[in-house]
Amino acid sequence: MKPFAGFAAAAVLLASCEEWEPVYTLKYDEPANYERVTMTPTHTIAQLAAMYEIGNPKTIEEDIIIAGKVNSSDQSGNFYKSFYIQDETGGIEVKVGRSSLYSDYKEGQTVYVDLHGLTIGMYGYKTLKEYADGPSGGNGLVQIGLEDPTNEYETSYIEVEPIINAHIFRGQDGDKVKPVVLTEKDLPGRTATLKDSPVLGKLVTIKGLKYSDKIFTLAYINSNLDKKASSNRIFLSDQTWGVTTWAMSKNLFVQKLDEGAFDSVKIGNSGDYNYGTVADHKDEIRSNAAAATVSQYFTCGKTELAVRTSGFAKFGDAEIPAEVLNGSATIDVTGVLSLYQGDIQLTINSLDDIVVNK
Amino acid sequence: MFRKATMAVIALLCSLSLLAQDYTGGVKGKVISRSDRSPIQQASVTLFQGAVEIASTASDTEGDFLIENLADGMYDLVIKAPEFLDTRVNVTVNDGYVKNMFNLSMSPSVIAQELDASNFAEFDLDDSGYSDNPTILFGQNDVFNEIAGYNFSSVRFRARGYSSESQDVYLAGVKMNDAMTGSAPFSLWSGLNEPTRTKDAYDGSDVATFAFGGYNGTTNIPVLASYVRKGLRGSVLTNSALYRLRLMMTYASGPLDNGWSYAFSASARLGGNDWIDGIYYRSFAYYASAEKKFNDVHRIGAAFMATPGQRGAQNSSTQEVYDLVGDNMYNSNWGYQDGKMRNARVRKTHEPIAILKYDFTPTEEFSLAATLLYRFGKNGYTALDWYDAADPRPDYYRNLPSYFYMEESDYNRQNPFKAAWAADAWSTGYDQNLIHINWDRLYNVNQNSIGEGGRLRSKYVQEERRVDQRDLNFAVSYKWRPDNHFQLTGGADAKINRTENFKVLADLLGGEYFVDIDNFAEREFASSEGKLQNDLDYYFAHGQAKTLEKGDKYGYDYLAQVRNASIWSNAQLSFGNFKGNVAASLGATSFWRDGLVRKGLFAGLDENGNEIKDNAGNVLTTYNPQTGEVISSYGKSVKNNFLTYGVKAGAEYRLGGSMRFYGHVGYMTEAPKFNKAYLSPRTRNSIVNDLTTIKNFTADINYQLTLGTWNFRATGFYTTIEDQTDVMSYYDDLQNAFTNLALSGIDERHMGIEVGFKIPTPVQDLAIQGAVSYGEYIYTSNPRMTQTVDNSAEVTILNEIVPYWQSHPVYKKNADGSFILDDEGNGIFDYDKKHYVPSTPQLAASIGLAWNRNYWFIDGDVEYFAKSYLDMNPVYRTDFAAAGPDHLETPSEIEYMSAQEEFDPAFLVNLNIGKSWYIDRKYQIGFSLNAKNLLNNKTVKTGGYEQTRLVDNTVGKERYYRFDSKYFYNNGMNYMLNVYFRF
Repeated sequence: MKPFAGFAAAAVLLASCEEWEPVYTLKYDEPANYERVTMTPTHTIAQLAAMYEIGNPKTIEEDIIIAGKVNSSDQSGNFYKSFYIQDETGGIEVKVGRSSLYSDYKEGQTVYVDLHGLTIGMYGYKTLKEYADGPSGGNGLVQIGLEDPTNEYETSYIEVEPIINAHIFRGQDGDKVKPVVLTEKDLPGRTATLKDSPVLGKLVTIKGLKYSDKIFTLAYINSNLDKKASSNRIFLSDQTWGVTTWAMSKNLFVQKLDEGAFDSVKIGNSGDYNYGTVADHKDEIRSNAAAATVSQYFTCGKTELAVRTSGFAKFGDAEIPAEVLNGSATIDVTGVLSLYQGDIQLTINSLDDIVVNK
Repeated sequence: MFRKATMAVIALLCSLSLLAQDYTGGVKGKVISRSDRSPIQQASVTLFQGAVEIASTASDTEGDFLIENLADGMYDLVIKAPEFLDTRVNVTVNDGYVKNMFNLSMSPSVIAQELDASNFAEFDLDDSGYSDNPTILFGQNDVFNEIAGYNFSSVRFRARGYSSESQDVYLAGVKMNDAMTGSAPFSLWSGLNEPTRTKDAYDGSDVATFAFGGYNGTTNIPVLASYVRKGLRGSVLTNSALYRLRLMMTYASGPLDNGWSYAFSASARLGGNDWIDGIYYRSFAYYASAEKKFNDVHRIGAAFMATPGQRGAQNSSTQEVYDLVGDNMYNSNWGYQDGKMRNARVRKTHEPIAILKYDFTPTEEFSLAATLLYRFGKNGYTALDWYDAADPRPDYYRNLPSYFYMEESDYNRQNPFKAAWAADAWSTGYDQNLIHINWDRLYNVNQNSIGEGGRLRSKYVQEERRVDQRDLNFAVSYKWRPDNHFQLTGGADAKINRTENFKVLADLLGGEYFVDIDNFAEREFASSEGKLQNDLDYYFAHGQAKTLEKGDKYGYDYLAQVRNASIWSNAQLSFGNFKGNVAASLGATSFWRDGLVRKGLFAGLDENGNEIKDNAGNVLTTYNPQTGEVISSYGKSVKNNFLTYGVKAGAEYRLGGSMRFYGHVGYMTEAPKFNKAYLSPRTRNSIVNDLTTIKNFTADINYQLTLGTWNFRATGFYTTIEDQTDVMSYYDDLQNAFTNLALSGIDERHMGIEVGFKIPTPVQDLAIQGAVSYGEYIYTSNPRMTQTVDNSAEVTILNEIVPYWQSHPVYKKNADGSFILDDEGNGIFDYDKKHYVPSTPQLAASIGLAWNRNYWFIDGDVEYFAKSYLDMNPVYRTDFAAAGPDHLETPSEIEYMSAQEEFDPAFLVNLNIGKSWYIDRKYQIGFSLNAKNLLNNKTVKTGGYEQTRLVDNTVGKERYYRFDSKYFYNNGMNYMLNVYFRF
């Protein structure tokens, strides 16, 4: 019976191992909620943004910490892979590079960014030029990301979890950011920066916007092919092309395509219309169709601005009310204010951010 | 003095012999194998009185023996035969009669049987389309099966390359292969080793006495009390590859004088293992059976058994992940919670089996057995589910260095800085939460997800997918043997199976509720609330999707209904050394799907046959764009009916008492299995195109030698399997959808040889043994493929040929590997490279030494495995994948995209040692120690699959790249120690 005794002893020893605990209890205590950190910012957002010079993305080598409250949410899909934070001096985009960020970074929550090793750069600027029909080009908005070795953009997404964990810290929860109400005179100029327009990147409300009967959308014959090739590009601009929604999901885009709404659109960049029309490429466009981001243009007094909505936004296919489209009603829009090549853009968090004035 | 002594001895001997001649008493009996009741010839039978050997003889070809001239008294009869455990019985001779011991059964000495058949790690394959179920060989007194069954099992060897679905396994005469999948459900009785030890097994396409069978062997486990070895048995086992501890206890009465026999067994398997974290067992088993014999004509028996418990599953990863972690046994299914390893994927089952069996033996010539068997209970499998939240899997491809940097710039992944960070996180493991499931984060997300009314709406939950069967079977078989030349067997069986497939919310992970909507449909149809509904009728009745609490059903719910019945008969003739048989079977199968909830995407028609509209008046009903038929998730699908038949013939010629030449030939059709018949059974009633019966042709010839301790068997086989279908579902994050692929018209051909031998060496008690299986198992057709996505009615690919499935062209190359082009710039065809049936070595060989003396055995073997291939995904064999975005197929793209991976050959070394002791001739105690993979080879791939995805956002926009394949590896050195006793 000796082997038995030895074996029993071995069994007892085994039973004391860590892995046995789950086997017998199958109980796992619920983890505590995560700890909210408090840090002392060294710079305001405007101070950080001021360190950027147009065309020169800057990798921060000093211990700079900024703090801000989250003012955007990717819950409805209109923001994607990044969120904005704002302090008194302005707002800035943090290019986290992950999806469903609203699960981790709540609107109103204070977020600290330790910038040492991160890069600030600008998206969407173009040298300002004066044309006969008005100025074109201008600034974009400063973003926080990582160096982009491909130089395709000034910054790339932070994206890698250990890098995110080392630079982005979650602080106290708070009430949602209250939008700043702007009038036409508060709107930024084409070359504005946070220095002269501290509302950039902030959540703002602009009231009494009037529909200006035009959209801007860039679609492709085949988005799997070169998106920069003029022969692959479809610009829907200067009129509405029958698009009466905030954006177009893939299904809606295909529906409009099949209805012939875009048939007469010429393929190619402006001044390079050498590739026929949408009607000539319909089958290929349909089989490679993707959701389309739409800028719907409005005017605030004499200033034009775009409400830009992603084709992946859950509310993208929602119809703009008819009374807005026919100009008999105006809207109040709350969204994150930004510039793209000098043009003013508003990006809304949800459809609740549009209020129709009847 | 010497002479005196000599005289005395002679006198004594004379008197003894004189005395002996006067005795009329004796012992006779028949030595048979416990497993299949077949006679054992050449068994040595020795009679002892005390420690003195009185007489010895050997059994004849029918297993009979006779020892005469015995005085009244108590004797011990010791029977030994190669391949069987020694048997010792007490014999009392009295009143000068020849005591008839009738059948003396011996147990095969197969050490491998200690680890039961289902003891393979639970692989996590649900979303892959890859199936993995090695076939189990029973060492039924067959030298090849015995060696291969044990030594080849670690690499998931499949006999003759056949899938496990083709292996027929019976319990008390009822076919137990799963009604949904066809796989042999060994897990239903794993842990009940003693009650299921006795087996009656037939190789290849041999017709069994209890069933017609297929082409991959037919095994019956009689399972009732009278087949369980008599006595009280217990064992304690520890094992480093699967679980730490197994405790097992069995008692069987054996046939009692009053006609009753009864048996009980219980066991527990507990703990983790040395190699794969997260795999654990918490499995139990119970068994009870009683039988009553009324005179010699009627016997009625019942049994009830189950193996309740749970097992953690293992997941496969890409080689990149294994290399980063430095461990080919990394398992991505678990993470730390509360300091403990928590596995997200756990199999939880409790599926009892109830059996009622009646045996009728009115005459010596005729017998009949009828069985009623019911299988029921629950079979669950947990997994993480999430709504609008980031993929929680640690080895998700976007977390890996290769997502940020690839040397080939065409991949458009050129950020070495990010790659370095990602690699660092993985390889140094500085944060365990990054490389395992981060349970804390999942809870934190839920804890901060304020939903309606301030309640916490879970984003991450654990679901339990349930496949709950109710399986009622009836089988009857008879045997009529009017004389020694003719035997007729036959039978009939019927099955009613109703399997409910659904999922329940198993754990809210810190949240308070979850909502029953289709996460994926929401991406596509965000503006149509009706289409997002998993349960549209609930939504219409309540105005919103159901709010789920723990334990609620959600997602999908449908019944799989299967009915089948068959009859068969086998006639066997024997004359002298010749034996032959012919058999035929006829069967009918019918199955249908019955959707219990109406899904918004596939709403179908209402009870009046009208289209269904959402609250805004939009039509939800969808139609198949090709046939115009309504696609419905709710209600009964059409019934799929199949008529099947089979014919078989066999012949055997015996030469002398020791050689056997035999062969079989057969043609059988079988109905497709439910799980390979529906495009997406969770969401709709649509069936696979070209659904038809599978046609099997099989033939084999064999030579067997059994002479004393010499054992040899050689077999040549040839089998074709045609018109198979396959379906696979996987989550495609490029389309944000579950994508379903359906293949039809898959043909295979399996041919090869099997050789097994065990022959004595000049060293006493030492034998040399070996087994070789060498074959070519290939695909012989290019199937057709249909692709659908769960979140739309769209058919992405409709019944298109998969041109590079059975082979792909190889083009001529220069010495530097570049392609030789013709004048028009095209590649020059060189030859076709065949594609193979995957996941088993097509060459497996074993050679070893076995030593056996005085209840000791030592057995060492070396194995070699080669020609094992990776399971193919059909997408990579399409023109679409080879062409790339520019729609141009080049030789390099074709060869890259459609090639099939061949695993490296591998050597493994196994060693087994065992010994048993008898105490007072009544008790037996013993141990066996099996050490596997003594070379600690941790680089042996046992299986895996190709991901069904393409890297499409390349720089050049000319071609696609594959995603990395995922693999499973064989464990490193592992052991199993079993200590057992018997009273």
